[in-house]
Amino acid sequence: MKRKTWIQILLHIILIAGLIIVVLPMVYMISTSLKPNGALYEYPPRFLPALDEVTLENYKYVLGQGKFYRNFLNSMCVSVASVLIAAAIASALGYVIARFDFPGKNFLFGFIVLTMIVPGLTLIVPQYELAVKLRVINSLVGLVPFYAAWTIPYSTFMIKGFVEGIPRELDEATYMDGGSVFTVFGRIIIPLAKPGIASVSIFNFLTAWEEFPWANTVLNDNLKRTMPIAISGFFGEHQFTQWGYVFALSVFSLLPILIVFICCQKFFVAGLTSGSVKG
Amino acid sequence: MKTSRKSKIQIGLLLLPGLLVFGIFTIYPILKLFIMSFFEWDFGSMLSHRFIGLENYKEVLGDEYFRTVFINSLVYTLVTVPGQMLAGFLVALLLNQITRFKVGYRVLYYLPVITSWVVASLIFKYVFNTEGLLNYFLMNIVHITSANVRWLDTRWGGMTVAMLLGIWKGIGWNMVVFLAALQTVPTDLYEAAAIDGATAWDKMWNVTIPSIRGTILFALVMLTIGGFNVFTSIKMITGGEPGHQTDVILTWMYHKAFSTGKFGYAAALSFITTVVLAILAVIQFKLMQQKDQ
Repeated sequence: MKRKTWIQILLHIILIAGLIIVVLPMVYMISTSLKPNGALYEYPPRFLPALDEVTLENYKYVLGQGKFYRNFLNSMCVSVASVLIAAAIASALGYVIARFDFPGKNFLFGFIVLTMIVPGLTLIVPQYELAVKLRVINSLVGLVPFYAAWTIPYSTFMIKGFVEGIPRELDEATYMDGGSVFTVFGRIIIPLAKPGIASVSIFNFLTAWEEFPWANTVLNDNLKRTMPIAISGFFGEHQFTQWGYVFALSVFSLLPILIVFICCQKFFVAGLTSGSVKG
Repeated sequence: MKTSRKSKIQIGLLLLPGLLVFGIFTIYPILKLFIMSFFEWDFGSMLSHRFIGLENYKEVLGDEYFRTVFINSLVYTLVTVPGQMLAGFLVALLLNQITRFKVGYRVLYYLPVITSWVVASLIFKYVFNTEGLLNYFLMNIVHITSANVRWLDTRWGGMTVAMLLGIWKGIGWNMVVFLAALQTVPTDLYEAAAIDGATAWDKMWNVTIPSIRGTILFALVMLTIGGFNVFTSIKMITGGEPGHQTDVILTWMYHKAFSTGKFGYAAALSFITTVVLAILAVIQFKLMQQKDQ
């Protein structure tokens, strides 16, 4: 064989070795979720269950609990609502900042970049105080505006970039035809910036879907919990954690993300890289 | 284009929802954080609070726990940021060279990124359990250790697990970002270097690294913020045990606020963290601009 072919094979061997380390924990999660519960505290521990002991009992148990559907639905509603609100607000902001001059514009944009830098969790104390004032403690609706507010700065930043890539001539033509600012927004900007809006929305969905600290602080009712809180709830007493249930529930919580990820792979990569390669 | 009255109103209407959300859910909490940090403000007695000047700041900075958690956050950032950047860069380099299965590798290497922090933390906690799989592997299969390592019961054991998780989860993001950057490096630069007789190592240092400097600094800024933002993994894996030895800035702040009820202390701690991070980010941005020129 040629030298080049050998190099290719070597590269693949290194990549596969790295991949095994990266994927191993995920495989272990799935294999543990398929073991009977009695086998989880066995010693020595085994990586895979014996073929004849593979069981779906953990999945059945999780699905058999009524609260599973509630938790799943809670997460879905909160995430979708947050994503839609953030997409609408960030598109409008991104459009206006990219196209018009108005007093305080630079300040507003600077502020948006600044809030991207401040870690969200440092504001948890005053946000809790705000949630008490707004009477949204222990309410799912209360999560939505906070998630939207956290994701809007980054979304605006990205969407502004996408809008700047749309030729201004299209705007001008619409104005010539008697269109207004709203017409341009609805007929030109939204349709053409769709890939950008989609890619940030995927990230925002991921953020809202897996958010733990805020939901864990604000929600205390079992039926109001979102998926991450439900998973951590299975895991009460350190010694008596039912790992099979924990991981079965974890697999369920990863499914929507996996589906979104596989369906929208190209948006995912576009959204990640458009901010990073400049300069 | 002259902006008509109608246009102005429509622009205003488009801005309004964003400004409202910012005003209520971001600006108000930032101001409130600053104000709270000067008050004795206890959870539970939301209405009664007392102005105490800089007492909270003094308490934070004089606190022996603050030193511990600050060092933990710093070490976490100093280890995980270069760790995941190097690993992700290496994977990107390899992916850039291969001709087949690129997409497949990319998807699989990206899986940890889209795994939620809660789930990933629980997997690591299970693997690193004292009677868990990793200890069994180390002791009975490869015979590196003679007894089970108590990963989760010591300060640096717990931090190691959290840091390994941080690196594991970050490789995919770095891979995608660096792969995109590598594809922008002009190939004629490599050809020119090859004519000059440059080795692969020379090309790396004199062509690749300078060409993707912007991306390196971008990743550095984002990951440094992420490093100081670590919360869920520590909370799930060690819970700060033993005795707050593995707490980081944000888990300690959370503990002070919601377990001991000291909102004022937590606010001062948050404010200090924010300022430190803002300064770090500004320095890194300045560096980025300098290198661009």
